Amino acid sequence: MKKQIDNIWIGQKDLVKDADFMKTADMEFVEEQVSYADMTSNLSGNRRDFLKFLGFGLGAATVAAGCDIPVKRAIPYVVKPDQIVPGIANYYASTFVNGGDYCPVLVKTREGRPIKIEGNDLSPVTGGGTSARAQASVLSLYDTNRFTGPKAKDGASWKDASWTDVDKTISDALQTSKNIRIVTNTVMSPTSKKAMSEFAAKYPNTKIVSYDPVSCSALLDANAKNFGVRAVPSYRFDKAEVIVSFNADFLGSWISPVEYASGYAKGRKISDIANAKMSRHIQVENHMSLTGSNADNRVLVKPSEQGVAIAHLYNEVTGSSVSAAGLNERAKKVLSKVAQELKAAQGKSLVVSASNNVNEQLMVNAINNSLGNYGNTIDMSTPSYQRQGNDADLKGLVDEIKAGSVDMLMLFGANPVYDSVYGVQFAESLSKVKTKISFAQVNDESTDLCDIVAPNHHFLESWGDVEAKKGYFTLIQPTISPLFNTRQVELSLLIWAASTNVDITKEQPYYEYLKESWKSGPFTSQSEYASFQSFWDHVVHDGIYNVTNTSAPSYTSVEIGSDITKPATSELEISYFETVHMANGQYAGNPWLMEMADPITRTVWGNYLAVPVNFDGIKTMVGFKDLVDGDLVELTIGEKKVTLPVIQQFGQMPGTVSLALGYGRTLAGNTGSNVGVNVNDCLTMGPSGPSYYNTSVAVSDKTGEEDEFSCVQYHHTIGVRGIDKETGEEINADEAALVFFDYFTGVKGFQGALTDRSVIYTSNVAELKNSVEHLQERRKHAQHLNDQQIYRGFDHLYSLGHHWGMHVDLNACIGCGACTVACMSENNVPVVGKHEVSIHHEMTWLRIDRYYYGDVENPNTIYQPMMCQHCDNAPCENVCPVNATNHSSEGLNQMAYNRCIGTRYCANNCPYKVRRFNWLDYTKADIWPANQPRLQEESVPFMADNLTRMVLNPDVTVRSRGVIEKCSFCVQRIQEGKLTAKTEGRVLRDSDVRTACQTSCPTGAITFGDMNDKKGELTMKLESPLNYIALEEINVRSSVTYTMKVNNRDKSFDA
Amino acid sequence: MIYKHLSIKIIATLFGLWFAVSLNAQASPDAGKELFKNYCAACHSKDMRSAATGPALGGAQTKWADDVALYAWIRNSQAMIQKGHPRAVELWNQYKPTVMTAFPNLTDDEIGSIMAYVNGVYDGTYGPKKDVAAVGTGAKVEEKSQLPMYLIIVGVLAILALLLTKIISNLNQIASAKEGYQVEAKTITQILTSKGVVTFLIFAVIILGAYTTVNKATELGRQEGYAPDQPIKFSHATHAGVHKIDCQYCHDSARRSKHSSIPGTNTCMNCHSAIKNGSMYGTAEITKIYASIGYDPSTQKYIENYNAKSEDEIKAIYTKWIGDEYKRVKEKADIDAEGERVVADQWANIKESLTNDQKKQIQGPIEWVRIHNLPDHVYFNHAQHVTVGKLACQTCHGKVEEMDLMKQMSPLSMGWCINCHRQTEVKFKDNAYYANYTRYHEELAAGKRDKVTVADIGGLECQKCHY
Repeated sequence: MKKQIDNIWIGQKDLVKDADFMKTADMEFVEEQVSYADMTSNLSGNRRDFLKFLGFGLGAATVAAGCDIPVKRAIPYVVKPDQIVPGIANYYASTFVNGGDYCPVLVKTREGRPIKIEGNDLSPVTGGGTSARAQASVLSLYDTNRFTGPKAKDGASWKDASWTDVDKTISDALQTSKNIRIVTNTVMSPTSKKAMSEFAAKYPNTKIVSYDPVSCSALLDANAKNFGVRAVPSYRFDKAEVIVSFNADFLGSWISPVEYASGYAKGRKISDIANAKMSRHIQVENHMSLTGSNADNRVLVKPSEQGVAIAHLYNEVTGSSVSAAGLNERAKKVLSKVAQELKAAQGKSLVVSASNNVNEQLMVNAINNSLGNYGNTIDMSTPSYQRQGNDADLKGLVDEIKAGSVDMLMLFGANPVYDSVYGVQFAESLSKVKTKISFAQVNDESTDLCDIVAPNHHFLESWGDVEAKKGYFTLIQPTISPLFNTRQVELSLLIWAASTNVDITKEQPYYEYLKESWKSGPFTSQSEYASFQSFWDHVVHDGIYNVTNTSAPSYTSVEIGSDITKPATSELEISYFETVHMANGQYAGNPWLMEMADPITRTVWGNYLAVPVNFDGIKTMVGFKDLVDGDLVELTIGEKKVTLPVIQQFGQMPGTVSLALGYGRTLAGNTGSNVGVNVNDCLTMGPSGPSYYNTSVAVSDKTGEEDEFSCVQYHHTIGVRGIDKETGEEINADEAALVFFDYFTGVKGFQGALTDRSVIYTSNVAELKNSVEHLQERRKHAQHLNDQQIYRGFDHLYSLGHHWGMHVDLNACIGCGACTVACMSENNVPVVGKHEVSIHHEMTWLRIDRYYYGDVENPNTIYQPMMCQHCDNAPCENVCPVNATNHSSEGLNQMAYNRCIGTRYCANNCPYKVRRFNWLDYTKADIWPANQPRLQEESVPFMADNLTRMVLNPDVTVRSRGVIEKCSFCVQRIQEGKLTAKTEGRVLRDSDVRTACQTSCPTGAITFGDMNDKKGELTMKLESPLNYIALEEINVRSSVTYTMKVNNRDKSFDA
Repeated sequence: MIYKHLSIKIIATLFGLWFAVSLNAQASPDAGKELFKNYCAACHSKDMRSAATGPALGGAQTKWADDVALYAWIRNSQAMIQKGHPRAVELWNQYKPTVMTAFPNLTDDEIGSIMAYVNGVYDGTYGPKKDVAAVGTGAKVEEKSQLPMYLIIVGVLAILALLLTKIISNLNQIASAKEGYQVEAKTITQILTSKGVVTFLIFAVIILGAYTTVNKATELGRQEGYAPDQPIKFSHATHAGVHKIDCQYCHDSARRSKHSSIPGTNTCMNCHSAIKNGSMYGTAEITKIYASIGYDPSTQKYIENYNAKSEDEIKAIYTKWIGDEYKRVKEKADIDAEGERVVADQWANIKESLTNDQKKQIQGPIEWVRIHNLPDHVYFNHAQHVTVGKLACQTCHGKVEEMDLMKQMSPLSMGWCINCHRQTEVKFKDNAYYANYTRYHEELAAGKRDKVTVADIGGLECQKCHY
């Protein structure tokens, strides 16, 4: 059954040569799929209507032409703030925080509006990287669903209230409340905690209950037992040579992915070919996670086998003999090999696990201790506070509420009705609590059951501090004055506690409180600054303040209980996973994240049941129950029955299915409500908390088909495989082009018919030398062919001034998608909605193509960020009838929107399929709700209301219907950088121009620069022998260079 | 178009001439001019004759007993007042509470240079000679329009064509007559309704119509010469012309940002906290500034909690001020009927100017009518042109210093931009940024190329302005 495939494939449709797919893969636009038949309400009309509209249009145009030009006003400041120069962006250091998600950022503001998030380079934790979640957070500031002020429940709906009323009601209620509970997710702010403890001091019957939407409780408890510190250690993935992860998606969603990804990539980049070294990464899981897709080897174990898998490794490494019965034979064999590898890398290895079972985590700790990893790859002296939730506390709270002993409940950023395992119980028993207060910014499932909303500021409107790791402080500073009548939670608590430490007559009382807190806190721990003001100014400017820790608690061995996850005997198991964009539903209200393609399945707008798939090696897919992508099935988990579409997933373990958490929210604004299905009520309860799988599961046969199956994997494909007519070999091919050039050159076999296209090159560390030779040969051949052509290069034209280029290190790219969201944010790329995506109309300028290669059952993955390649011989340019797209002297493929008449010839002629057409007026007409007839009942579409429009980048044109758009290499940033250099009268530096995708990348995979700058960072990168140009043989002379993807797979694992 | 480019060139030539003259003058007043611009020009008028925020500087030196006292005054005026120097006290009584900025860092030489410049301008021995303008006019040899010549040629050709037609038809008639045919001469009506003429006319109408439509369509949205009334009768001629305030004193973001920015009211207050009566409209216009920002000229203080004040309260403050000024100027003890009318008119005008459909409050920003409107898909950056290109503002905006009512001088059309980019030379040599254009540098050095225009470095490419 197994077959090793040397080349890449994009999915099962590609492998089996699905006839429909092969047809669409050849085309840029899939027009026959466009059907508005079901949208009669919007687009009905007949010949008479047409004539009416025509007549009206003519009349209106005539009248309009006769009118005066509308008077535009220029409104200056009354008192112009010193630091604002209209037209110049200001950057403020702040921190993106949402529960345990953390990223130190710089907020770009224009004329006082935050419009873009950048990473803060000064942070030693993230090193300037960002995540998709952080990038998209600026859009949630302008969410039209936000509460506009305090509200009180009036029957079933919310009624406006005033802060005075709210304060009075709550203060009165506090006097009579016996038990007060504040429910939070992880709180990393020392000053928030101070405010909460002040509140608790005033009302001693207050208890703070914190939990994480995806629980890490067991990991924390295990560390509490072993080290006496209930915290996550600092994992040093950069120092680890062998990394073993048990289901922990540390590159995508587990605890601190930006930090881990930046460290991980350091061990994956190859600089020296002769002595190539690369870390080994083994992922033990059942579902293809983002982290698993980057692993060298994946070990497949069922969710219920995780416990015994850890136990087996524990036995092998430490020589113990815990019962590990029930682990599948293959995994057993492979894990024994893994144990040998780990033992050979004493002190240079790292084992992590996402298990929520304390005993399993204790075993992982014991393995790490036995390998001498503490103090080397695991730093316990700098514990991380990014997860603090306690499952036992949450359980206790539920019991209390059920018993009716809680009088007041405050929800501080938490949504337990949706995202906790006790959601149903919360929803049922919440009415027993007398006073329920929510601090939510947007109405959610839990808030809707409350009596009072005292809405919090968005983090971009707040003051605050964060201690993500011990001694690693960052500040949150407001970058806009509050848009609505909201108030910071901490201030609300202090007011209700009648605190004497906060002076509410001050303009920003919590700011003063925060300053005082820092004066008595971090300020005292340093000696560099004598006065507090200079210290404070410095910290506010940098956003960052670090204290070095020296002492680490030592490991204490504890007895490991025998209660670990028991392997189940059921035929089918389901595992639940957190995606990079949705988390556990916290980000469901954000359109950018909703439309961001999942890195693995590449689906948008919904969760899809991942089912295993296999390939017989010839032509047939051995599917799970013969289901194919987009089939609807009925999924039964325990008692719950849901209908949802499936997606066939390579690398999914047979006998298991998987489903993403975070969907199916009923109250998540216009965007996130009722998208996908919710499974938070289908988790398995372990001894201490929820485990993210279920063994009582059944999947029905196909019950129907999803109408709007939105998976972008088969859109805009360039890596399709086909049969070479001459040799009969299966090759990596693009569209079948006709033979034209034989006549001129006498050279056959290039640009003719199906040729072997260079989209991806892969290698293994052990075979690197041969692969590089092969690569060089291929490139030499391609360059030779190119020299034969009539379209030679025009390099002499670009030797003057700048010649922009980009380098993408595929070994560093982990596919996290931060760049795709950054690109949408920077370039005003519209969100088009599910229906439009399902008919190939997504507008993303930058997509991350995912390819599989190697073992069909358990493949390796490549992520290839694909954007306009700015070809110097661009095929798109010479087919444009109106010269709307043409070339600049700096090597940019320019797009003049106002010239474009929408013939789409350019897109048809683009070999990389990176051009996007505005089929509809996505940014302003009433189009988006039309795409979402079931989801959207609001009449104002996304990006059409003045609030959402505040997020637009004023330096980038908003495109209208009927024009093509594409990646511009962030030309607005290029021009700005050039101007800075000119104004300062100096040569342009690398740091002057960085594209949005480059700055957002947590691993530094993207380098942009001037190829004419012989000392530039880009020139250095372009020297690597691993480099290649995608589709080099077609002589388009692209300006983007990729590196060969190298893995460190041990093939003996596959045997 | 030809006129415009010509006038741009003439302006440029004039500026060149003026700079040349300035550079050839004595060294000391030149340094003084720079210093004056940096330190003094904000408060003291450039013509040295009229008073601005501070007194006119012309002849100031003679009013002081000795230079030592004057120099000390410039370095720290308040100290001199406290010491009780008679001239210092005299000035203080005249100008208080406006305090002259202290310049403790100015050296004797520097102050000497400033005074040399001041005296030079005052007695007319420094700066542009009066007759420079005449030289300019002399240089204004305008290219004669070719239109009359064309018309004459067309006329002559038309007459010629008519004559020839007549001759041909006569000859035809003669020939026909000779051959025995009786040919009747066609009447005018017959000719005019003949197939050929009608076809020609229809064709001509279509061509002319299309030509006009295209031209008019191209001009849609262009506002050359647009000069709307503004909420305040602000005169650039007074500020930039008479008082010679530098453009960038108010439009300060032009040098560093894409926008030139209309100054905030607080910028106006830098001078108008002292200058309360306009030379043209008295209190009528300047009071609008006060009503916008909340400054009470009677008490010379900013009004506390101004935004919370009701319209009646605001009205009371400013009508009192206008009335008082009326009395002061007319030297009357009480307000007469005309005075009441003046106060009522001025207040009504203030209210109308500072409020509109969207802005009901008098307080707050002054909403000017925007004159230069670029379409959204055009990116224009002032800093690029002002700071890097070192263009004079007048190149695009015309002689603003002569405009009482600001108007748009240039068409702001793409053709206009492109033309300038084709002709304008890049400040290539003195900016290290352009070092990587090595081939151009070599060609310049070898004499193969006399200049590098904006077009040569890609200034005509789409994505320099459209993205």
